[in-house]
Amino acid sequence: MKSQTTKNPPLSSATLQILLALAGGNLHGYGIIKEVARNSDGHYRLGPGTLYDNLKKLMDAGLVSDVPPPVSSKRKSASTKEDDRRFYVLTKDGKGALAAEVDRLQTVVSQARSRLREARAGNA
Amino acid sequence: MISTISSSAYRLLLRLHPVSFQDEFGAEMLWIFDEECEQGRVVPLLLDGAISLLRQRFRTQNDPGQLSIASGTVITGPGMDPVRLLQGGVTFSLIFFSLIQLLSHPNLLTVSVRWSDRVPCYTISLQAPSHAEVVLDTTP
Repeated sequence: MKSQTTKNPPLSSATLQILLALAGGNLHGYGIIKEVARNSDGHYRLGPGTLYDNLKKLMDAGLVSDVPPPVSSKRKSASTKEDDRRFYVLTKDGKGALAAEVDRLQTVVSQARSRLREARAGNA
Repeated sequence: MISTISSSAYRLLLRLHPVSFQDEFGAEMLWIFDEECEQGRVVPLLLDGAISLLRQRFRTQNDPGQLSIASGTVITGPGMDPVRLLQGGVTFSLIFFSLIQLLSHPNLLTVSVRWSDRVPCYTISLQAPSHAEVVLDTTP
């Protein structure tokens, strides 16, 4: 357990949201921002600075890698700017880090539920 | 007009980022900024860009890489002197928050351009809350 914690330290909320967005499929930067907003019902909106700062860290850590845009996307997009956009993909290590974070959050939720139950029992 | 000023401010912020970061993500960040600006999220995006700049700068402090500044000059060395970094930070913050103040009160600043003998003449009018007005006219 301890070694797993050292290997996969808790993720920041921005990092978690980015990895969650990419778990649904390869996305370009603006796609990630829109996916994160959609997943959080518009409550959490990443700025480009925060997004690329985190993406750089994730790419350096080997959790995310970039790929050229798919051919179908190139055909659909009319502007050159859109053609140049890179897509980001979750690597095997990235999937592992996301799974570890979800397990950690699950433990937190279980502990919180147990504490709340104890508190309610104490009040009764 | 406001979108032009905010876009220029964002470009300036991007140019203050480390060169490697600019090369890798600058174009995509600018593209997203333009898209998001259409939804009226200028101030949060500028703040986000400023925070990103600070993060990148503090991260590159220990790197022997290059530091580019707005004029395009490249300074090489083991990182920026902390005193210079502090001075630069204070100056930048003053300019940045003044700009945000102006952007959030569009009536305070008006800029008009007219052409005189193919030379652009700018009239910049800054109106103080007490209705005093400062006008800078570049007409020859």
